[in-house]
Amino acid sequence: MAHTENFRKVAEVGDIPLGEGEGFDVGGIEIAVFNTGDEYYAISNRCSHQHAPLCKAGERKINAEDTWTDERGGVDTEACTVSCPWHLWEWDLETGEHEASGQRIGTFDCTVEDGDILVRI
Amino acid sequence: MESSIKRIRGVAEAPEQAFDDEIVDLDFHVNPLEDELLAYVEDDRALDKLTTEFGATPVMGKWDAAYGIKEGQEGLFTQGRAKYAEDVREACAPLAIDEPIVNPGINNLNLQHHPVLKNAVCQAANDYMLDHFVDEGVYTAMMVPKWDPDYAVSEIDRLADEDGIVAGYSWFDPKVPWGNEQFDPVFEALVKHDLPLLLHGSLAYWPQHSYIGDDMLTWTEVLGFDWPIHAMVTVVNMIMRGVFDKYPDLSVVIQEGGHWWVPFLRYRMDEFYEMHPEDIQITPRKMESGERYLGRLPSEYLRDNVYFCTQPFALPRNAGEAENLLDLSLADEMFLYSSDWPHQTLDPPTWFYTSRAFDEETRKRILSENAKEILTI
Repeated sequence: MAHTENFRKVAEVGDIPLGEGEGFDVGGIEIAVFNTGDEYYAISNRCSHQHAPLCKAGERKINAEDTWTDERGGVDTEACTVSCPWHLWEWDLETGEHEASGQRIGTFDCTVEDGDILVRI
Repeated sequence: MESSIKRIRGVAEAPEQAFDDEIVDLDFHVNPLEDELLAYVEDDRALDKLTTEFGATPVMGKWDAAYGIKEGQEGLFTQGRAKYAEDVREACAPLAIDEPIVNPGINNLNLQHHPVLKNAVCQAANDYMLDHFVDEGVYTAMMVPKWDPDYAVSEIDRLADEDGIVAGYSWFDPKVPWGNEQFDPVFEALVKHDLPLLLHGSLAYWPQHSYIGDDMLTWTEVLGFDWPIHAMVTVVNMIMRGVFDKYPDLSVVIQEGGHWWVPFLRYRMDEFYEMHPEDIQITPRKMESGERYLGRLPSEYLRDNVYFCTQPFALPRNAGEAENLLDLSLADEMFLYSSDWPHQTLDPPTWFYTSRAFDEETRKRILSENAKEILTI
């Protein structure tokens, strides 16, 4: 249990569908946890550009059937990135880096134990 | 400890305080489906041709700037597509926008070829907006067909008295600039009906077949700088040609044409004008009135008659620098908040709350009060 010291449960496996994310307020810090299939990743919930909530990446667009893609931003499970729902800034889920600008947002240790998704802030 | 972990629920995307404030959005695009729009075309001959597949365009067309971005042309629908009033309300709710001023987002129409067909689309768009937005209580900017000033006047006269029509919507572009005297009847009609003229960008329109236009290969150049240059030229043209001496009550709103160039214009227009104002008297309106000079300094018309939408804001990260720019740009008098929903350059009203550059008063003026001074809402 030592390796999960200071980790806190935010959700259970199955709560966050593959390729999607969920936002959590952990003691006043907003994080978004994404499920890429192989792993869960925890990252700051706010894009550094204009503070968009990253947990909404992949949300279905209004009248998506009349546009050419269904979602606002979203998770790329292969590249292990999330695109911001407002302006598509692409954030590396492991490093928190936006390649084009070199900016970084916070990432947090995230692990699964006994069916629980745990995060360390 | 567990109790301090909460799932983030709900639709809110803007800062909490934004939901307590009144926010008017000067640039909210709706996009009717083609079939639903065509159902409003009244002229059968035009409708017949509008439903005929056109061949290749006879001249080289520029790529639209959006080709260069991640989602390409889909960037025009990054947030979705609003067809009806309920779509607009759904989109505005998470962004804390209280009063969107919607426009028929057919922004490529101005640069199309056939004036009769364009008028037919314009009529259809305005009637579509009446049915689906004005009648549903959503404030609307009616389309003003720049390519046909006579038709523009008749459309303004036909629709301006409708409750809910609060502005005319047209474009700054690479064609005849708005300072030209052919637009006087349009200005007269707008002033008569107390409607501001919103001028928006559309497509990539550095003049075709120019060295500069042909070598603009990036989205940053085309959308970031092609539009502001044309917007700047349009504003200076209107001021120096005496539009606002003749129509002092006319308000013009520049949309997506940039806004940080306001200080540059303020000082440069006055400097040049005061050095050599001799040619003002031979501009057509002054020839007619017999006046030698403008009635006021060029910067005063800019301040009193011209407004700027804030999107895309490009706000400096450094709050001190941002505050200086806001001051020099007379933002508390001239800036109007706009979101540009649903496009790739969407600006939710976040920076007004996350940057320390805004005091309460400046924020309020940009988010709602300046808009309410020129719109009857």
